Amino acid sequence: MPATGDDRLFMAGTVADALAALAERGSEGAPFAGGTWIMRAPIRREAQAPFYVGVGRIPELNAIDVAADRIHIGASVTHARLAAQLAGVAPCHGLATAAGSAANPAIREMATVGGNLSTSDFSAADLPPALLCLDAEVELATTGGRENLPLERFLATRRDLDPGTLVTGVTILRRPVLTGHARLPLRKAGDYPVAIVSLAVQLNQNGVVEDGRVAVGSVESSARRWPGLERKLVGHPLDPRQAEALAEAELGAFTGRDGVEAPGWYRVQVLPALVRRAAQAALRSRS
Amino acid sequence: MPTILTINGEQRVSSRGPMTPLVDVLRDEFFLTGAKSVCREGVCGACTVHLDGQPVVSCLVPIGTIGEREICTVESLAAAGEPSPLQQVMEEHDVVQCGMCFPGILMVLTGFLRERPHADRDEIKAALAGNVCRCTGYERLVDAAVALARA
Repeated sequence: MPATGDDRLFMAGTVADALAALAERGSEGAPFAGGTWIMRAPIRREAQAPFYVGVGRIPELNAIDVAADRIHIGASVTHARLAAQLAGVAPCHGLATAAGSAANPAIREMATVGGNLSTSDFSAADLPPALLCLDAEVELATTGGRENLPLERFLATRRDLDPGTLVTGVTILRRPVLTGHARLPLRKAGDYPVAIVSLAVQLNQNGVVEDGRVAVGSVESSARRWPGLERKLVGHPLDPRQAEALAEAELGAFTGRDGVEAPGWYRVQVLPALVRRAAQAALRSRS
Repeated sequence: MPTILTINGEQRVSSRGPMTPLVDVLRDEFFLTGAKSVCREGVCGACTVHLDGQPVVSCLVPIGTIGEREICTVESLAAAGEPSPLQQVMEEHDVVQCGMCFPGILMVLTGFLRERPHADRDEIKAALAGNVCRCTGYERLVDAAVALARA
Protein backbone atom coordinates (compact mmCIF):
# COMPACT_ATOMS: atom_id res chain seq x y z
CA MET A 1 0.00 0.00 0.00
CA PRO A 2 1.23 3.50 -0.64
CA ALA A 3 2.91 5.41 2.18
CA THR A 4 1.77 8.63 0.57
CA GLY A 5 -0.40 8.99 -2.46
CA ASP A 6 -2.53 11.22 -4.61
CA ASP A 7 -2.85 11.95 -8.27
CA ARG A 8 0.74 13.12 -8.79
CA LEU A 9 3.00 11.30 -6.33
CA PHE A 10 3.16 7.86 -4.84
CA MET A 11 5.87 7.18 -2.27
CA ALA A 12 6.89 3.56 -2.69
CA GLY A 13 7.99 1.50 0.30
CA THR A 14 9.55 -1.33 -1.67
CA VAL A 15 10.97 -1.91 -5.13
CA ALA A 16 7.98 -4.13 -5.92
CA ASP A 17 5.60 -1.30 -4.98
CA ALA A 18 7.53 1.12 -7.15
CA LEU A 19 7.59 -1.20 -10.15
CA ALA A 20 3.88 -1.91 -9.86
CA ALA A 21 3.09 1.82 -9.72
CA LEU A 22 5.37 2.59 -12.66
CA ALA A 23 3.86 -0.25 -14.70
CA GLU A 24 0.34 0.99 -13.94
CA ARG A 25 1.12 4.53 -15.11
CA GLY A 26 3.13 3.51 -18.16
CA SER A 27 4.57 6.41 -20.15
CA GLU A 28 2.89 8.95 -17.82
CA GLY A 29 4.89 7.84 -14.79
CA ALA A 30 8.52 8.41 -13.86
CA PRO A 31 10.70 7.62 -10.86
CA PHE A 32 11.43 10.45 -8.40
CA ALA A 33 14.52 10.11 -6.20
CA GLY A 34 16.37 13.21 -4.95
CA GLY A 35 14.36 15.58 -7.12
CA THR A 36 17.18 18.05 -7.71
CA TRP A 37 16.66 17.99 -11.47
CA ILE A 38 12.93 17.35 -11.70
CA MET A 39 11.98 20.12 -9.27
CA ARG A 40 13.83 22.74 -11.30
CA ALA A 41 11.57 22.11 -14.29
CA PRO A 42 9.05 24.93 -13.63
CA ILE A 43 11.68 27.68 -13.42
CA ARG A 44 13.26 26.33 -16.61
CA ARG A 45 9.88 26.08 -18.32
CA GLU A 46 10.30 22.37 -18.79
CA ALA A 47 7.54 19.82 -18.39
CA GLN A 48 7.27 17.54 -15.41
CA ALA A 49 5.84 14.04 -15.74
CA PRO A 50 2.12 13.75 -14.96
CA PHE A 51 2.89 11.24 -12.20
CA TYR A 52 5.91 10.39 -10.07
CA VAL A 53 6.83 7.33 -8.07
CA GLY A 54 9.01 8.33 -5.12
CA VAL A 55 11.83 5.84 -4.59
CA GLY A 56 13.99 7.81 -2.15
CA ARG A 57 12.82 6.00 0.97
CA ILE A 58 13.04 2.39 -0.24
CA PRO A 59 15.50 0.66 2.13
CA GLU A 60 16.95 -1.64 -0.55
CA LEU A 61 17.80 1.33 -2.73
CA ASN A 62 19.54 3.12 0.13
CA ALA A 63 22.06 0.37 0.86
CA ILE A 64 25.78 0.34 0.06
CA ASP A 65 27.19 -3.20 0.22
CA VAL A 66 30.97 -3.46 0.25
CA ALA A 67 32.10 -7.05 -0.35
CA ALA A 68 35.61 -8.36 -0.92
CA ASP A 69 35.25 -8.52 -4.68
CA ARG A 70 32.54 -5.98 -5.49
CA ILE A 71 30.59 -2.98 -4.26
CA HIS A 72 26.88 -2.52 -4.83
CA ILE A 73 25.41 0.94 -4.48
CA GLY A 74 21.65 1.37 -4.25
CA ALA A 75 20.16 3.87 -6.68
CA SER A 76 18.75 6.14 -3.96
CA VAL A 77 22.08 6.58 -2.16
CA THR A 78 22.86 10.29 -2.05
CA HIS A 79 26.10 11.90 -3.12
CA ALA A 80 26.83 12.84 0.50
CA ARG A 81 26.48 9.24 1.70
CA LEU A 82 28.49 7.92 -1.21
CA ALA A 83 31.33 10.32 -0.45
CA ALA A 84 31.27 9.53 3.27
CA GLN A 85 30.98 5.76 3.03
CA LEU A 86 33.38 5.12 0.15
CA ALA A 87 36.15 7.44 1.34
CA GLY A 88 39.17 5.21 1.83
CA VAL A 89 37.50 2.18 0.22
CA ALA A 90 39.55 0.87 -2.74
CA PRO A 91 39.23 1.47 -5.62
CA CYS A 92 36.79 4.31 -4.98
CA HIS A 93 39.03 7.31 -4.42
CA GLY A 94 37.91 8.89 -7.71
CA LEU A 95 34.26 8.03 -7.18
CA ALA A 96 34.24 9.42 -3.63
CA THR A 97 35.91 12.60 -4.90
CA ALA A 98 33.27 12.91 -7.62
CA ALA A 99 30.42 12.44 -5.15
CA GLY A 100 31.95 14.76 -2.56
CA SER A 101 32.71 17.65 -4.89
CA ALA A 102 29.60 17.72 -7.10
CA ALA A 103 27.27 20.73 -6.84
CA ASN A 104 27.06 22.05 -3.27
CA PRO A 105 26.58 20.48 0.19
CA ALA A 106 22.79 20.81 0.29
CA ILE A 107 22.38 19.30 -3.18
CA ARG A 108 24.74 16.47 -2.24
CA GLU A 109 22.39 15.63 0.64
CA MET A 110 19.57 15.17 -1.85
CA ALA A 111 20.86 14.12 -5.29
CA THR A 112 21.12 10.36 -5.81
CA VAL A 113 23.24 7.95 -7.79
CA GLY A 114 20.29 6.70 -9.81
CA GLY A 115 19.11 10.20 -10.60
CA ASN A 116 22.56 11.35 -11.61
CA LEU A 117 22.96 8.47 -14.05
CA SER A 118 19.42 8.65 -15.42
CA THR A 119 19.27 12.38 -16.14
CA SER A 120 20.21 12.29 -19.79
CA ASP A 121 20.10 16.07 -20.19
CA PHE A 122 22.68 16.59 -17.42
CA SER A 123 25.95 16.65 -19.35
CA ALA A 124 28.04 17.92 -16.42
CA ALA A 125 27.23 15.04 -14.07
CA ASP A 126 30.25 13.86 -12.06
CA LEU A 127 29.32 10.26 -11.37
CA PRO A 128 29.14 8.87 -14.95
CA PRO A 129 32.85 9.43 -15.77
CA ALA A 130 33.93 8.16 -12.34
CA LEU A 131 31.82 5.03 -12.73
CA LEU A 132 32.82 4.48 -16.39
CA CYS A 133 36.43 4.15 -15.21
CA LEU A 134 35.38 1.46 -12.78
CA ASP A 135 33.56 -0.59 -15.45
CA ALA A 136 30.34 -0.16 -13.50
CA GLU A 137 27.19 -2.05 -14.34
CA VAL A 138 23.75 -0.54 -13.90
CA GLU A 139 20.97 -2.72 -12.53
CA LEU A 140 17.57 -2.13 -14.13
CA ALA A 141 14.30 -3.56 -12.86
CA THR A 142 10.84 -3.98 -14.32
CA THR A 143 7.91 -6.10 -13.22
CA GLY A 144 9.38 -8.73 -15.56
CA GLY A 145 12.68 -9.04 -13.69
CA ARG A 146 16.10 -7.46 -13.36
CA GLU A 147 19.03 -7.11 -15.69
CA ASN A 148 22.50 -5.58 -15.58
CA LEU A 149 23.81 -3.32 -18.30
CA PRO A 150 27.35 -2.00 -18.70
CA LEU A 151 27.20 1.70 -17.80
CA GLU A 152 28.47 2.66 -21.25
CA ARG A 153 25.51 0.92 -22.84
CA PHE A 154 23.10 2.37 -20.29
CA LEU A 155 24.27 5.91 -21.03
CA ALA A 156 23.75 5.31 -24.75
CA THR A 157 20.23 3.94 -24.34
CA ARG A 158 18.86 5.72 -21.25
CA ARG A 159 16.63 8.07 -23.23
CA ASP A 160 14.77 5.11 -24.68
CA LEU A 161 14.16 2.92 -21.64
CA ASP A 162 10.82 1.14 -21.66
CA PRO A 163 8.18 2.81 -19.46
CA GLY A 164 8.10 1.12 -16.08
CA THR A 165 11.88 0.66 -15.91
CA LEU A 166 13.62 1.59 -12.66
CA VAL A 167 17.35 1.94 -12.05
CA THR A 168 17.87 0.03 -8.78
CA GLY A 169 21.62 0.18 -8.34
CA VAL A 170 25.17 0.15 -9.61
CA THR A 171 27.79 -2.57 -9.15
CA ILE A 172 31.54 -2.15 -9.46
CA LEU A 173 34.21 -4.82 -9.25
CA ARG A 174 37.04 -4.15 -6.82
CA ARG A 175 39.89 -4.33 -9.28
CA PRO A 176 43.42 -3.35 -8.10
CA VAL A 177 43.38 0.07 -9.74
CA LEU A 178 44.30 3.56 -8.63
CA THR A 179 41.63 6.12 -9.38
CA GLY A 180 41.49 9.90 -9.58
CA HIS A 181 38.85 12.48 -10.48
CA ALA A 182 39.49 16.06 -11.59
CA ARG A 183 36.88 18.69 -12.45
CA LEU A 184 36.97 22.31 -13.48
CA PRO A 185 34.19 24.57 -12.27
CA LEU A 186 34.54 28.23 -13.17
CA ARG A 187 34.07 29.26 -9.56
CA LYS A 188 36.09 27.41 -6.94
CA ALA A 189 33.06 25.23 -6.21
CA GLY A 190 29.30 25.16 -6.40
CA ASP A 191 28.73 25.48 -10.14
CA TYR A 192 28.78 22.95 -12.96
CA PRO A 193 32.23 21.88 -14.11
CA VAL A 194 33.06 22.82 -17.69
CA ALA A 195 35.04 19.58 -18.01
CA ILE A 196 35.66 16.45 -15.95
CA VAL A 197 38.33 13.74 -16.23
CA SER A 198 38.23 10.47 -14.32
CA LEU A 199 41.02 7.96 -14.49
CA ALA A 200 41.65 4.39 -13.28
CA VAL A 201 44.97 2.64 -13.87
CA GLN A 202 46.38 -0.72 -12.95
CA LEU A 203 50.13 -0.56 -12.31
CA ASN A 204 52.51 -3.51 -12.29
CA GLN A 205 55.14 -3.97 -9.59
CA ASN A 206 57.47 -1.58 -11.43
CA GLY A 207 54.85 1.15 -11.52
CA VAL A 208 54.15 0.72 -15.24
CA VAL A 209 50.57 1.09 -16.45
CA GLU A 210 49.23 -2.33 -17.44
CA ASP A 211 45.65 -1.28 -18.01
CA GLY A 212 43.98 2.10 -18.00
CA ARG A 213 40.58 3.76 -18.19
CA VAL A 214 40.04 7.45 -18.82
CA ALA A 215 36.57 8.97 -19.03
CA VAL A 216 35.54 12.52 -19.83
CA GLY A 217 32.42 14.31 -18.66
CA SER A 218 30.76 17.65 -19.43
CA VAL A 219 32.71 18.17 -22.67
CA GLU A 220 30.17 16.42 -24.89
CA SER A 221 26.49 15.79 -24.24
CA SER A 222 27.21 12.55 -22.38
CA ALA A 223 30.25 11.19 -20.56
CA ARG A 224 32.37 8.70 -22.46
CA ARG A 225 35.67 6.85 -22.38
CA TRP A 226 38.83 8.14 -24.09
CA PRO A 227 40.23 4.96 -25.70
CA GLY A 228 42.97 6.69 -27.70
CA LEU A 229 44.54 8.08 -24.53
CA GLU A 230 43.98 4.84 -22.62
CA ARG A 231 46.06 2.93 -25.19
CA LYS A 232 48.88 5.45 -25.00
CA LEU A 233 49.10 5.31 -21.21
CA VAL A 234 49.75 1.56 -21.24
CA GLY A 235 53.40 0.50 -21.07
CA HIS A 236 54.69 3.64 -19.34
CA PRO A 237 54.99 4.66 -15.70
CA LEU A 238 52.07 6.87 -14.65
CA ASP A 239 53.67 10.28 -14.91
CA PRO A 240 51.21 13.16 -14.65
CA ARG A 241 53.21 15.46 -16.95
CA GLN A 242 53.60 12.75 -19.55
CA ALA A 243 49.91 11.91 -19.31
CA GLU A 244 49.15 15.58 -19.92
CA ALA A 245 51.34 15.59 -23.04
CA LEU A 246 49.75 12.39 -24.32
CA ALA A 247 46.31 13.90 -23.81
CA GLU A 248 47.33 16.99 -25.76
CA ALA A 249 48.00 14.80 -28.78
CA GLU A 250 44.60 13.08 -28.51
CA LEU A 251 42.31 16.10 -28.24
CA GLY A 252 40.88 15.46 -31.69
CA ALA A 253 38.75 12.75 -30.13
CA PHE A 254 36.33 15.34 -28.70
CA THR A 255 33.97 17.95 -30.06
CA GLY A 256 33.10 20.24 -27.19
CA ARG A 257 29.54 21.37 -26.64
CA ASP A 258 28.90 25.09 -26.59
CA GLY A 259 27.13 26.45 -23.53
CA VAL A 260 26.53 29.71 -21.71
CA GLU A 261 29.22 28.88 -19.17
CA ALA A 262 31.93 27.89 -21.68
CA PRO A 263 32.40 27.45 -25.43
CA GLY A 264 33.08 23.97 -26.73
CA TRP A 265 36.73 24.61 -27.67
CA TYR A 266 37.51 25.67 -24.11
CA ARG A 267 36.11 22.47 -22.63
CA VAL A 268 38.42 20.47 -24.90
CA GLN A 269 41.49 22.61 -24.29
CA VAL A 270 41.40 22.15 -20.51
CA LEU A 271 41.39 18.35 -20.78
CA PRO A 272 45.19 17.81 -20.71
CA ALA A 273 45.49 19.76 -17.45
CA LEU A 274 42.64 17.75 -15.97
CA VAL A 275 44.30 14.51 -17.06
CA ARG A 276 47.43 15.64 -15.21
CA ARG A 277 45.42 16.45 -12.09
CA ALA A 278 43.50 13.17 -12.22
CA ALA A 279 46.81 11.25 -12.52
CA GLN A 280 48.23 13.21 -9.58
CA ALA A 281 45.14 12.41 -7.53
CA ALA A 282 45.37 8.72 -8.42
CA LEU A 283 49.02 8.60 -7.35
CA ARG A 284 48.25 10.47 -4.11
CA SER A 285 45.52 7.93 -3.31
CA ARG A 286 48.22 5.30 -2.72
CA SER A 287 49.45 7.04 0.41
CA MET B 1 -5.01 14.54 0.66
CA PRO B 2 -3.50 16.71 3.43
CA THR B 3 0.19 16.28 4.23
CA ILE B 4 1.34 16.13 7.85
CA LEU B 5 4.67 17.82 8.47
CA THR B 6 6.77 18.27 11.61
CA ILE B 7 8.11 21.80 11.53
CA ASN B 8 10.25 23.20 14.34
CA GLY B 9 8.89 20.54 16.68
CA GLU B 10 5.21 21.10 15.88
CA GLN B 11 2.92 19.03 13.71
CA ARG B 12 1.41 21.05 10.90
CA VAL B 13 -1.05 20.02 8.23
CA SER B 14 -0.61 21.30 4.69
CA SER B 15 -3.47 21.31 2.24
CA ARG B 16 -1.14 21.77 -0.73
CA GLY B 17 -0.44 18.96 -3.20
CA PRO B 18 2.44 16.56 -2.50
CA MET B 19 4.64 17.90 -5.30
CA THR B 20 4.50 21.43 -3.83
CA PRO B 21 7.99 22.67 -2.95
CA LEU B 22 8.53 22.88 0.79
CA VAL B 23 9.62 26.51 0.60
CA ASP B 24 6.21 27.53 -0.74
CA VAL B 25 4.39 25.72 2.06
CA LEU B 26 6.66 27.24 4.70
CA ARG B 27 6.22 30.76 3.42
CA ASP B 28 2.71 30.88 1.99
CA GLU B 29 0.83 28.47 4.21
CA PHE B 30 2.63 28.68 7.56
CA PHE B 31 4.10 32.20 7.22
CA LEU B 32 7.59 31.02 8.13
CA THR B 33 9.21 33.53 5.83
CA GLY B 34 12.82 33.09 6.94
CA ALA B 35 13.55 30.71 4.07
CA LYS B 36 13.66 32.82 0.92
CA SER B 37 12.41 31.71 -2.48
CA VAL B 38 15.00 33.08 -4.90
CA CYS B 39 16.56 30.92 -7.61
CA ARG B 40 14.21 27.93 -7.22
CA GLU B 41 16.81 25.58 -8.66
CA GLY B 42 19.13 24.76 -5.77
CA VAL B 43 21.89 27.15 -6.69
CA CYS B 44 21.58 30.11 -4.30
CA GLY B 45 20.91 28.38 -0.97
CA ALA B 46 18.56 31.10 0.32
CA CYS B 47 15.81 28.57 1.07
CA THR B 48 18.01 26.16 3.04
CA VAL B 49 16.33 24.35 5.93
CA HIS B 50 17.24 21.20 7.84
CA LEU B 51 15.64 17.81 7.26
CA ASP B 52 16.55 15.58 10.19
CA GLY B 53 19.45 17.91 10.88
CA GLN B 54 20.89 17.93 7.35
CA PRO B 55 20.75 21.07 5.20
CA VAL B 56 18.60 20.82 2.08
CA VAL B 57 17.32 23.41 -0.37
CA SER B 58 13.61 23.56 0.31
CA CYS B 59 12.80 24.78 -3.21
CA LEU B 60 13.61 21.28 -4.50
CA VAL B 61 11.88 19.22 -1.80
CA PRO B 62 8.27 18.23 -2.56
CA ILE B 63 6.34 18.03 0.68
CA GLY B 64 5.02 14.59 -0.22
CA THR B 65 8.50 13.09 0.01
CA ILE B 66 9.27 14.31 3.54
CA GLY B 67 7.30 11.82 5.60
CA GLU B 68 8.21 11.80 9.30
CA ARG B 69 11.48 13.64 8.91
CA GLU B 70 11.75 16.76 11.07
CA ILE B 71 11.93 20.12 9.34
CA CYS B 72 13.83 22.91 11.10
CA THR B 73 13.77 26.44 9.71
CA VAL B 74 15.82 29.47 10.64
CA GLU B 75 13.01 30.50 12.98
CA SER B 76 13.97 27.58 15.23
CA LEU B 77 17.47 28.89 15.92
CA ALA B 78 16.28 31.46 18.45
CA ALA B 79 13.15 29.63 19.47
CA ALA B 80 13.55 30.54 23.15
CA GLY B 81 14.08 34.18 22.29
CA GLU B 82 17.84 33.98 22.68
CA PRO B 83 19.91 34.08 19.48
CA SER B 84 22.08 31.04 18.89
CA PRO B 85 25.87 31.41 19.32
CA LEU B 86 26.16 31.57 15.52
CA GLN B 87 23.56 34.31 15.30
CA GLN B 88 25.28 36.22 18.09
CA VAL B 89 28.68 36.11 16.44
CA MET B 90 27.14 37.19 13.13
CA GLU B 91 25.61 40.20 14.87
CA GLU B 92 28.89 41.03 16.62
CA HIS B 93 30.67 41.05 13.26
CA ASP B 94 27.93 43.19 11.68
CA VAL B 95 27.50 40.64 8.94
CA VAL B 96 23.92 41.14 7.80
CA GLN B 97 23.33 43.32 4.78
CA CYS B 98 20.15 42.90 2.73
CA GLY B 99 19.27 39.66 4.53
CA MET B 100 18.18 37.66 1.50
CA CYS B 101 20.86 34.99 1.70
CA PHE B 102 21.34 35.14 5.43
CA PRO B 103 18.80 32.59 6.73
CA GLY B 104 20.21 29.98 4.35
CA ILE B 105 23.75 30.76 5.42
CA LEU B 106 22.77 30.41 9.08
CA MET B 107 21.19 27.02 8.42
CA VAL B 108 24.16 25.72 6.44
CA LEU B 109 26.67 26.91 9.02
CA THR B 110 24.58 25.67 11.96
CA GLY B 111 24.62 22.15 10.50
CA PHE B 112 28.24 22.34 9.39
CA LEU B 113 29.67 23.70 12.66
CA ARG B 114 27.72 21.09 14.62
CA GLU B 115 29.67 18.41 12.76
CA ARG B 116 32.94 20.37 12.47
CA PRO B 117 32.97 22.80 15.42
CA HIS B 118 36.63 23.74 14.90
CA ALA B 119 36.59 23.98 11.13
CA ASP B 120 39.19 26.19 9.51
CA ARG B 121 38.60 29.05 7.08
CA ASP B 122 38.90 26.96 3.91
CA GLU B 123 36.49 24.34 5.23
CA ILE B 124 33.96 27.02 6.14
CA LYS B 125 34.24 28.55 2.66
CA ALA B 126 33.77 25.12 1.07
CA ALA B 127 30.69 24.54 3.21
CA LEU B 128 29.21 27.77 1.83
CA ALA B 129 29.74 26.79 -1.83
CA GLY B 130 25.97 26.61 -2.28
CA ASN B 131 25.12 30.00 -0.78
CA VAL B 132 25.15 33.08 -2.96
CA CYS B 133 25.29 36.53 -1.29
CA ARG B 134 24.18 39.21 -3.72
CA CYS B 135 25.73 41.87 -1.46
CA THR B 136 29.06 39.98 -1.72
CA GLY B 137 29.42 40.05 2.04
CA TYR B 138 31.33 36.81 2.14
CA GLU B 139 34.47 37.91 3.96
CA ARG B 140 32.74 39.26 7.04
CA LEU B 141 30.47 36.29 7.44
CA VAL B 142 33.38 33.88 7.01
CA ASP B 143 35.35 35.96 9.55
CA ALA B 144 32.46 35.59 11.98
CA ALA B 145 32.19 31.83 11.47
CA VAL B 146 35.95 31.45 11.89
CA ALA B 147 35.76 33.44 15.14
CA LEU B 148 33.08 31.09 16.44
CA ALA B 149 35.08 28.02 15.40
CA ARG B 150 38.10 29.35 17.28
CA ALA B 151 36.14 30.29 20.40
